[in-house]
Amino acid sequence: MRTRLYLHPSAPHHPIIPKDWSWVIGYGGLLLLPRFLALRNGLYRTGPSSRLRALVLPLLIVLFWCGAFWFFHRVLQYFSTIPDLGPVLSQKLLHFVFLAFFAILLFSNVITSLSTFFLSRDLLLLLPAPVPPRRLFAAKFTETLVDSSWMVLLFSAPAFAAYGVVHGGGPLYYLLVLLTLVPFLLIPAALGVMLTLLLAAALPAQRGKDMLIVFSTLSLSLLYLLLRLLQPEKLVNPAAFADFLAFLSAMQAPSSPFLPSTWAAEVLLPVLGLTHGEVLFPYLLLLSTALFLLVSASSASTILYPIGWSKAQEGHRRRGLRHWWEATVQGITLLFPSHLRVIVAKDIKTFFRDAGQWSQLLMLLALVVVYVYNFSVLPVGGGTVGSFYLQTVVAFFNLALAAFVIAAIAVRFIFPALSLEGKTFWLLKSAPLPLRRWWWSKFWVGLVPLLFLGELLVCVTNYFLHVSAFMMVLSAVTLCVLTCSIVALGMAVGVAYPNFTAEHSAKVAASFGGVLYMVLCISFIGAVVVLEAWPVYMFLLSQLKQVPPSPALWGGMFASFALACALAIGVFWVSVRWSIDRLERMEIA
Amino acid sequence: MITLDHVTKRFGTFTAVDDLCLHVGAGEIFGFLGPNGAGKTTTIRMMMGLLTPTSGRVVLGHHDLCSEPLAAKALCGFVPDRPFVYEKLTGREFLHFVGGLYRLPQALCRARTEESLELFHLSPWGDELVEHYSHGMKQRLVVAAALLHDPQILVVDEPMVGMDPIGARMFKALLRSLTLRGKTIFMSTHSLEVAEELCDRIGIILGGKLIASGTLDQLQRQSGEEGRLEDIFLKLTAAPDMLEVIAALRA
Repeated sequence: MRTRLYLHPSAPHHPIIPKDWSWVIGYGGLLLLPRFLALRNGLYRTGPSSRLRALVLPLLIVLFWCGAFWFFHRVLQYFSTIPDLGPVLSQKLLHFVFLAFFAILLFSNVITSLSTFFLSRDLLLLLPAPVPPRRLFAAKFTETLVDSSWMVLLFSAPAFAAYGVVHGGGPLYYLLVLLTLVPFLLIPAALGVMLTLLLAAALPAQRGKDMLIVFSTLSLSLLYLLLRLLQPEKLVNPAAFADFLAFLSAMQAPSSPFLPSTWAAEVLLPVLGLTHGEVLFPYLLLLSTALFLLVSASSASTILYPIGWSKAQEGHRRRGLRHWWEATVQGITLLFPSHLRVIVAKDIKTFFRDAGQWSQLLMLLALVVVYVYNFSVLPVGGGTVGSFYLQTVVAFFNLALAAFVIAAIAVRFIFPALSLEGKTFWLLKSAPLPLRRWWWSKFWVGLVPLLFLGELLVCVTNYFLHVSAFMMVLSAVTLCVLTCSIVALGMAVGVAYPNFTAEHSAKVAASFGGVLYMVLCISFIGAVVVLEAWPVYMFLLSQLKQVPPSPALWGGMFASFALACALAIGVFWVSVRWSIDRLERMEIA
Repeated sequence: MITLDHVTKRFGTFTAVDDLCLHVGAGEIFGFLGPNGAGKTTTIRMMMGLLTPTSGRVVLGHHDLCSEPLAAKALCGFVPDRPFVYEKLTGREFLHFVGGLYRLPQALCRARTEESLELFHLSPWGDELVEHYSHGMKQRLVVAAALLHDPQILVVDEPMVGMDPIGARMFKALLRSLTLRGKTIFMSTHSLEVAEELCDRIGIILGGKLIASGTLDQLQRQSGEEGRLEDIFLKLTAAPDMLEVIAALRA
């Protein structure tokens, strides 16, 4: 019997522990083993829904790759047809791609390293264990590097492949891409880890995390605005081309000689025949910087990590109640029926105290600004049949796009509603609270701001498009109906695929349920818009030609509106009934 | 006050609770014991409406949990084994929220919140976010929340885990005072000393079946073991080879 080992007087004191652990601990890989095993177990020990996920996700990745490759290929091919300026544009684009990746990697590494070095649960197991600090650093650094970089690698592959295909890179180019990416990924990882170690030594981890989340979201929003303000549409307008190039050239940042992104681009450009520079010098610059920063980060960690870790354990801070905030929340809840107020107040407070959630509003603001700006610069108008056609098509496209924006926001804020209750859901389930009441409170809290935003988007952009009053009313009414159904559908799919262990809403939104929800929303929006578009177009065309609409056209319009309406009401009704029923029958094991 | 009538819960082919029958009277503390995986938490979760029984019925007060869930739940306070609460609310806000769930009038809710914070020594941290509470503080907050609406029945799953000796002593005194006020307490615990000290009657569950139930004297007679509750529990639940290991370790 196995237990005899522990009981026999001659048995060693710790029979299952080898005499010398160091030979095992010595391999930093041991510390990464749990992550690897968890990944393996996640892949192999799966249920039917996970297997479906395992099929769908690679398919989506392949689709994304194809789409991104097609985009870069088209752009680069177009550049290659422009004499003199083409190679310059290709160079600038590669610099810009590396710079964008570098910025994203830096932010991503800072955020990730905060989790891996300070907030990760396994630290309570690893830190008291006899693990040499440098081994721990090596394991945590690798974890940070992989977590932060895999997505950039995934996204960058089609861009590099397109460069190789268009400019005939050959095997040497692809080898150099791989060799360049290694130090290129190491530099932001080392910088990010050092920045986090410094920050954690100065601030408690949670506060530092909040600040970093807000800072990085704000920066990404500004980057997005900046990209839009480059006005890439001018590329198709030869008259504005010189201005665009001047603008692009005026931006010194993408090709600053002190940036690792510049060195990385300069390694690849000569192989592609886009410049006549040297490959070895920028590569050695990149490699030596990476190694220097890696050693520096490792050394810094021995001093800063114990201080930062100790600070991270403090986390105890007094928070005075802000009376104006309390009064505002109470004021908002007055808009809701009395039985929903307590849940609404809780949702508002938890939302605005979670930097990971409210900071997404910054991104949303950038999205709305760019959306409205896009329509303000669209060249529509003129009163001809051609411009009328464009106007109507764009108005319907606008409607679909606004609904898509609503769905994209809903996947972040509505779909995770149940999941974000997390392990606290026991409280709601065991309380004398009909769960349909919880459902409706979430529905209204989600619907009101989304409806306001959607109507604002569609009305302002339709104003810029100079659409007719009929089209304006039709868009507003359709979007209202679509938003109600999209929110209800979000709640339903959220109830079908809850994730009570997710740490934040982004993780829930990126899950299989989130992807399924977006697919359902796109299909639903597409069906409603298509049902409305054709008869409306025919109707408006007959008005433009000053021909009275035929009875068949009236009938067609009525039938298609009735169908669109029935579809929206059907989606709403089924979502409400099904999800409330499922919620009430849901078990918490 | 609490009746479990032939309650069974199956997860697929696995039977977690098998034809469980129990009755706990008003003003009684009932201790529910059993080794890990015996079905204690599953039973409690069925009693609180977190799980639906595969068959049988749960009656709380005079309300069937299946047909009158809201009335049955309104009678109960629940302290789960792990104190999961909204981390981004303060302790005071969390209690207000729970008061709202149980439809307490606002003035009463505020008054009881302050009383509870005081009673559970949480007043100085009432305006702190719960994410900064220690495990023991969270546990005390959950107990305070469970008692906020003055329930007739208190269902407690592993109450002492994470509590400091003062908190544990206070909790035991609180349970006694509640029974003096006629409240019914259903408590699952691994602490046999606590069960022996507090409980009027004890039920022992093994493999989903109730294998013994009654006062300490009745359990001694049922098991044929004259010793303390620990000995009775081991005799009834431990596998022979485990008893052998324990005997060897004692030697």
